[in-house]
Amino acid sequence: MALPSLRHPAQRSLRKQCHQCISQMNSPRYASTAAAPIDELEQSSFQAPELPSDEANQFDPVGKAKGRRKQLPPSRYQFRPPKYYRGPLAPYQPPPSSDPSSREFVPGPFSLPRMGETYKSTIAQDMMTLSYSHVIPGTPQPAAGQRLRTWDGDSPYFANRPLRAPKGGHVLRPLHKRITFRNVPRLEKITVHSMSTEAGSGDSAYLHVTGMVIQAITNVRVKTHEARTTVQQWGLKKGKYSSVTAEMKGEDMYHFLSKCVDLVMPRIKDWKGVKGSSGDETGNISFGLDPDVVALFPEIEVNYDMYPPKMIPGCHVTVHTTANSDKEARLLLTAFGLPFYGKLIN
Amino acid sequence: MSAPKNSLKFLLGGNGRPINSSICRSCRKSISSRRQYASTAAAVAEAPESIHSPVTSSSPSTQLAYALRAGVVLSRPPQITRTLTPFEKSFFLYQKRLNERLSLPFTRYFYYRKGTPSEIDYKAKIKSRLTPARDIGRYNPYLDDGWNDEVLVGAQESEPEDVMEKLLGDVEVPVVNKFQGEQEQEKGRGDAVAARPAARETEADRTGDLRSLDRALERTLYLVVRDGKGRWGFPSDVLVGKESLHLAAERILVQTGGINMNTWVVGNAPVGYHEHKYPKYVAKGGVSQIGEKTFFMKARIMAGQANLEGNKLGVEDFQWLAKEEIPKVVDSFYWSQTRNMLSAR
Repeated sequence: MALPSLRHPAQRSLRKQCHQCISQMNSPRYASTAAAPIDELEQSSFQAPELPSDEANQFDPVGKAKGRRKQLPPSRYQFRPPKYYRGPLAPYQPPPSSDPSSREFVPGPFSLPRMGETYKSTIAQDMMTLSYSHVIPGTPQPAAGQRLRTWDGDSPYFANRPLRAPKGGHVLRPLHKRITFRNVPRLEKITVHSMSTEAGSGDSAYLHVTGMVIQAITNVRVKTHEARTTVQQWGLKKGKYSSVTAEMKGEDMYHFLSKCVDLVMPRIKDWKGVKGSSGDETGNISFGLDPDVVALFPEIEVNYDMYPPKMIPGCHVTVHTTANSDKEARLLLTAFGLPFYGKLIN
Repeated sequence: MSAPKNSLKFLLGGNGRPINSSICRSCRKSISSRRQYASTAAAVAEAPESIHSPVTSSSPSTQLAYALRAGVVLSRPPQITRTLTPFEKSFFLYQKRLNERLSLPFTRYFYYRKGTPSEIDYKAKIKSRLTPARDIGRYNPYLDDGWNDEVLVGAQESEPEDVMEKLLGDVEVPVVNKFQGEQEQEKGRGDAVAARPAARETEADRTGDLRSLDRALERTLYLVVRDGKGRWGFPSDVLVGKESLHLAAERILVQTGGINMNTWVVGNAPVGYHEHKYPKYVAKGGVSQIGEKTFFMKARIMAGQANLEGNKLGVEDFQWLAKEEIPKVVDSFYWSQTRNMLSAR
């Protein structure tokens, strides 16, 4: 029954694919060590044989464009997406932000960050080995019980009420998951935040300098935030712009952290490290940098005179990781070279 | 009597075929012979398998067991970033030039005060390279033909070595019109030579010194040793008494490579194991041993170098090898059991 059906052409190609799979499994192939045979790869311009040098020298796109007598016909690619999004029913939908013609497009990445490479080649593997706990495959996982409390009592008002919050607070902490190769903690993003009380009370020059400084050290555009409430002690007035934040991901994030770890932190006087009690219990760790520490960043040092010296701000740095607990997040950041001191909490 | 839902018998579905297909073959075998992971470490097998059953010399009532060994996979992590692929090189240059085209003009007066030598220097440089970016070659992003940002065949602009030279040249030669070939060098300046980073290829790479730790800087290197019988493999030894794998790994490192290595044994769990069956059972301490199992611990070398003088494990030679060099010295069965615990890079 099964054999005659294999004669069907589609089945035959399937069988062929299987044979390819098997032959690939037998010969070891790693992306970094040995390239696949060329005939197995998709066709690309990288495999094309090099042009003869005289033919390559004749290639002159600018000269060709200038020598053209007639203008090229207008193309649809000259269209610029509208400035404002007109909703999902509008006839024209803007291109995705990854498209260079999009207004939201941000170029990058420009390099392969060293810290990211170290994470992939060394840190991730060591963290997985360190936090490994063996479970026989196929062992059923113990089911996570109901973590919210029920309303116990005779009151008729308890019927159909949503469950009660956990004791000691209203936030449900994330459950700890066993670390496997799928969920090794990694850096997610870094947020830099700086608030200036002077800006909150009316002098906007401070906020401009703060924005310039944070933009210079993080390489991303900052967002400004207005005060939500009036706080007399901090000189905050509701509705006044008082702080800036910058959010970094990917390449910028790794560059910022390696600048902190390699260039700035070793030069801070009497610095013990990041406080061990820092963290929000869910794997995000914060530390602060004083104004004189911010001035140590190479981007500020190179033209330090251009910033009004008393206006250089300090900032709060929050490192967001995918770890579920602060302990794992600290393990990750220690591997990146960030020291911790004092009592380690969680 | 039916099996409870969380029992192993239930998982195996009665007739030995697992319901849960995520169980691998070896685990299925170990489950079906009702041996737990912990009791595997105790290594008392219940019955010899028919395929491997050699001629038994002892009485059939003796217990069969594996000899337990600990091994160490001592590695030196990559020291430098990996070499970029041609695609990555051209992609990064494309993104850099695109960034120049899309960003606002450089605010010169914020970085260079008017009339200062650095401003004069900057002006001369921008005249020759046309763009504030120092590492994208001679390219003006704001001209009408700014679209012509693709480099031609054989151009060096996307090579990391070229980028490095341009960045360092920007530091050390203040006023030189490199691109037009005009030498407008100021007197007394341009003598400073910025320190170049060390080469990616070292002396040990060129001479093919496999014992050096300075070789193959962008790869993970593993310590493999040759024992008295001429076989290559990771350093290993029998477990002594009640010592743990972690302690055994530390002992093996000292007994193999001497005390002149600063090492760190990562974690308490092994990263892999190697199973070897003897051609004949070996009677030892009341049990007859079927073969031996070596559990490998992962370790990192921080500093120092192996020194085989007076080692206690009978090691005769050592090499620091990258992953793809190991199968050239170890036998194929050993390699098939150990290759998956090594890092690809």
